[in-house]
Amino acid sequence: MPSFDVHAFFNQFLYDPKNPLLFNNGFFVFFFAIFIALYYRCRNNYVLRRYIFCFFSLYFFYKASGAFVVFVIISAIVDFVLSNLIGKSEKKGRKKFLLILSIVFNLGLLCYFKYTNFFIRTSNELFHTGFNPLNILLPVGISFYTFENLSYTIDVYRGNFKPVKKFSEYLLFLSFFPKLVMGPIVRAHDFIPQINKPYNISDSDFSKGFYLIISGLFKKLVISDYITLNFVNYIFDNPSLHTGLECLFAVYGYAIIIYCDFSGYSDVAIGIAKWMGFTIPPNFLSPYQSKNITEFWRRWHISLSSWLRDYLYIPLGGNRKGELRMYVNLMITMLLGGLWHGASWNFVLWGGMHGVALALHKLYKTKGGRLLDSEKYKHFTNAISIFITFNFVCFCWIFFKSESFESAGQMIYQITHDFDAAAWPAFFNNYKTVLGMMLMAVLIHAIPDNFADKVVERFKLAPLPVYIIIFFVFVLVYGYFKAAEPVMPIYLQF
Amino acid sequence: MPAIKKVALLVTISVILYSLFSFLASGLQFKILSFNNVNILSDIFFTPDSNKLETAVTDSSAVFIQTDSILVKGEKSFSNYKFPTLITSFQQDTTMPSLLHLDAKLLALKQGKRTKIRIAYLGDSMIEGDLLTKKLRELLQAMFGGCGVGFVPVTPNVAKFRTTVSDDNSSNWRDENFKNATEEAKKTLFFSGRTYYSNNSWTIIKDLTIKDSALIEKSLICGATSGSSINYNDHGLIIHAPDKLNRILLSGDYSNQAKLVVNDNVLPVYGVSFEAPTGIYVDNFSFRGITGVEINSIDTSFLKNIDQHNPYDVIILGYGVNLLYKPNDKNFTWYRQLFNPVLDKLKKCFPNSDIIVVSTADRAFRYNGEYKSAIGIDSLVRLQARLAFNNSLCFYNQFATMGGQNSIVKWAQKTPALASKDYIHPNERGARTLAVHFYNAILNDYNKYIAAINDSSKTN
Repeated sequence: MPSFDVHAFFNQFLYDPKNPLLFNNGFFVFFFAIFIALYYRCRNNYVLRRYIFCFFSLYFFYKASGAFVVFVIISAIVDFVLSNLIGKSEKKGRKKFLLILSIVFNLGLLCYFKYTNFFIRTSNELFHTGFNPLNILLPVGISFYTFENLSYTIDVYRGNFKPVKKFSEYLLFLSFFPKLVMGPIVRAHDFIPQINKPYNISDSDFSKGFYLIISGLFKKLVISDYITLNFVNYIFDNPSLHTGLECLFAVYGYAIIIYCDFSGYSDVAIGIAKWMGFTIPPNFLSPYQSKNITEFWRRWHISLSSWLRDYLYIPLGGNRKGELRMYVNLMITMLLGGLWHGASWNFVLWGGMHGVALALHKLYKTKGGRLLDSEKYKHFTNAISIFITFNFVCFCWIFFKSESFESAGQMIYQITHDFDAAAWPAFFNNYKTVLGMMLMAVLIHAIPDNFADKVVERFKLAPLPVYIIIFFVFVLVYGYFKAAEPVMPIYLQF
Repeated sequence: MPAIKKVALLVTISVILYSLFSFLASGLQFKILSFNNVNILSDIFFTPDSNKLETAVTDSSAVFIQTDSILVKGEKSFSNYKFPTLITSFQQDTTMPSLLHLDAKLLALKQGKRTKIRIAYLGDSMIEGDLLTKKLRELLQAMFGGCGVGFVPVTPNVAKFRTTVSDDNSSNWRDENFKNATEEAKKTLFFSGRTYYSNNSWTIIKDLTIKDSALIEKSLICGATSGSSINYNDHGLIIHAPDKLNRILLSGDYSNQAKLVVNDNVLPVYGVSFEAPTGIYVDNFSFRGITGVEINSIDTSFLKNIDQHNPYDVIILGYGVNLLYKPNDKNFTWYRQLFNPVLDKLKKCFPNSDIIVVSTADRAFRYNGEYKSAIGIDSLVRLQARLAFNNSLCFYNQFATMGGQNSIVKWAQKTPALASKDYIHPNERGARTLAVHFYNAILNDYNKYIAAINDSSKTN
C-alpha cells in the first residue's frame, strides 16, 4: 500500500517557487473542484459568493507567485480609492490630478518591476555608467492587471463608467483567477456588471466552455509544449548548429507555439469564466488567416490591441491630428506595445517592424492601392495575401523569440545562406511527430469559428458521461506526450 | 438538468475519478496507459516498492565503488576518476604529476628553450566551432608562449560561428570523411576526419587569433605526392612529399593569411597550420556525431607518419556524448570493445605523447516531463575511465568538472546560460568555463611536476 506523506500534503498548500500553480498542475484540479462546489452551493448569496471568488482568486495568485499577491491587493485598494475620489470630485483639475496619480502609481510599479534592469543595462551600454543590475523578480500577471487598473480609472475619469462602490467587486475584477496570469485583459465595464447577476448559464455555454477549456489545454499542453521542447527551443538557442531548413521550420514552429500558448491560455480562461457565468470576449480569431497586417492586429491578442488603441493611440491623437501625426502615433503605440511584451530591445524592434508594416499598409490603402483585391481570382489573391502576411509575421517572430539581435541574425543567415534542402529526408524522418503536431495546429487554426460553434451546439445535450470520457481521453493524450521519448536535433545523426 | 448543475457535477465526478485512477496508478502500481505521467497524487503518495528499488540501485553502485577503490598494482587507484578538475594517471598519490612528457616540455618552454608543444584535441560537436579549444589555447599561449591557431582544415565547416578563423573557398572541393569515405580512403584520414581533393579548387584561410604582427609559419598538411603544382599566396610552387602525411612549410612571414590553389586533383590535402616557430599550440579536430571509434579505421603507418612529421605532445580524446543517444541506455560495453583498439593503436603510434581520455560532459533527457542527467551517464563515465585505466592513459572527468548530476540542466537554465536548450552543448560561455577548468588541471599538473623535481633535487 502507498504511504501517505503528511508533510508533503501540507506543503502542497504553500507556494513553491519551483512549481508555481498553473492550469496543468495536479493541485489546480482539486482547487477548481472545491471552488466550483462552494460557488455552486453559495450561488444565491451574492456577497458570500463574491468573497469566495475573491478568496480563491487571491489564493490562486499566491500559489502562482507567492508574496506578490500583496501587490494585487495594494493596487486594487489604491485604484478603488482613487477612482471613487475621481467619481466624486467636481473639479476637472482635481480629477486630472487624481488620474495622473493613478497612472504614475500603476506605471511606476510596472516600470520598477519590469524595466528597471532594462534601463540599467541600456544606460550601461550607451553611457558606460557601470550600474549593477538589481535583483528584481517580475510579479506574475503585473503587465495584465496594470493595464486593467489603468483602463478602469481612465474610464471613470472620462465618465464612461461609474466607479464601483464595493471594494470586493473591484478586487474580484482585478484578481479573477482564470485570467490573472496571462490575460485576456478584461475591461471593467464588460466585467463588473456581470458580478452580481444570478448564476445561470445555458446548455450552449456549458458545452462551449468545455470545448474552450479542453481545446485550450490541448493547444497549450500538448501541441505547444511538445514542439517547444522537442524542436524549437534548441534550434533558436543556437541556430548556427542547425541547417537553414530546420531554422525555417523552427520559425514556423514558433509561430504555432506562441499562438497555441497564448490563445490556448486565453481559451481556458474564457471557458472557465463562461462556466462561472461570465462572458469574456474572444482574444484570438484565427490570426494567421489574416490577409493583411491591419487585419492581423484585429485578430491577434485582441484585448491588448484594443486596449492600446483606446488608451494609447486615441489619447495620443489617433488619426484626428493630420496624416503625419497619425503615423507618428501609430509608431509610438506599436513601439510601446512591443516593449510591453518584455524588457528588451528585441521586443521594441518587433513592435517597430509591425508599426512600419501597419503604417505602410495604411498609406497603401489611402493611396487607393488595390493590388490583390481582385474579385475574379479571389481565392488565389487571398491565398497570396495570407501567405505574405503570415511570412511577414513569422519574420518578425524571429526577433521576438531570439535572445539577442546576434542570434536573430544567425537564424536569418542560416535560412538564407545554409538552407541545405538535401537534409529534408533526415529532417522528415527525425521530426515526424513534431511535423504532425505542427500540421494538427494548422488544422485547428483553420477550423472556422462558426463550424466549431455548430459542433458545440450539437454536443450541448450530450449526456454527462460523454464529457467525462472526452476529458479522460485528453488526460491520457496529455500524459502520453508529456513523457514521450524526446526528439533530438538531427545533427546528432550525421 | 440545469447547466450550472452540470458544471458542478462534471467537475466533481471527474476529480473523484481522476483521484481514484491516480491512487490506483501510484499507490497500487496499476499501469493505466499513460496515466502515471499525469498523476495528480504523485506528490503526496509514495510507494514503498519504488523506494526499495532506488535503495537497491544505490547499494549496487556502492559495492562497485568498493571494488574500485581496492588499490591496483599497489599504487594506482581507479577511483581517482571521480575527482573533478583533475587530470589523473590514476596514481594513488594525487600530489604526483600525470602528464610527464608535457610537463617536461612546458618547463623547457618556461626556461626559454626554443621548443614547440603541440596538443591535438579530438572530439565531437562538444568542441565544435573551436569554442573550448580557443580559450584553452589562449590561456596556454599566454602562460607558455606561442601564437597562432594551429591546424585549420581546408574548409572549416562550421566557420560561421568559429571566431578564430575566417575562410572563403571554392565550392568544388571533394571532401572524403569519416562518414562517406571508403574503407581504403579512411586509412589516410587525418585526425580531422577529412581529406580534401581539389578540382582546381581554392581556399583562403585567415588566422584571426593573431593580434599583433607576429612571425607565423604557414604549413601545408597533405598526403603523398611526387610533385604537385600548387599556388600559394599567388606564387606557384611544386611540392614533393614522400610520406603519407607531410608537413610542408609554405612561408614564415608576418601575414596571417594563406591563399591556396591546388592544381593537382589527386593530392590529398588536409589543411593549413598556423604556428609561430616556438610556443604551445592546440589543434581543434571536431567532427559532429562521432564517438571516437572512427579513428580505428586510420592506418597505423599513417598515424606513425603523423607522429614523425607533425608530432603531438598531447592527444586529447573527448567523446561520449553521442553514445548517450537514447534516454534509457545504461549498457555501453560494446563501446569498450570498439574503443579499446583505438586507444591501443594511438598508444603504439604515439609512444612519446601523453594521451588523455576526457569523459563525456553531462547531457540530459526529459524523464516524465523533467530534464535530468541521462541515466546511463555514470556508467559511461566509469567505462571511459576504465578504458583509460586499463591502457595506462590519463583521464579527465568532464562530467564531474561540470558539477556532476544534472549540471547541464542547471547550466542551461542559469542566467546567463552556460549551455544550450538541447541540454547537450555548453554554449560559448560554458565552453570557456570548461576550458578554464581544463587549463587549471594542466597547470596543477605542471606545478606538481615542478614540486616533484624540486623535491628530488633536494633529496639528491
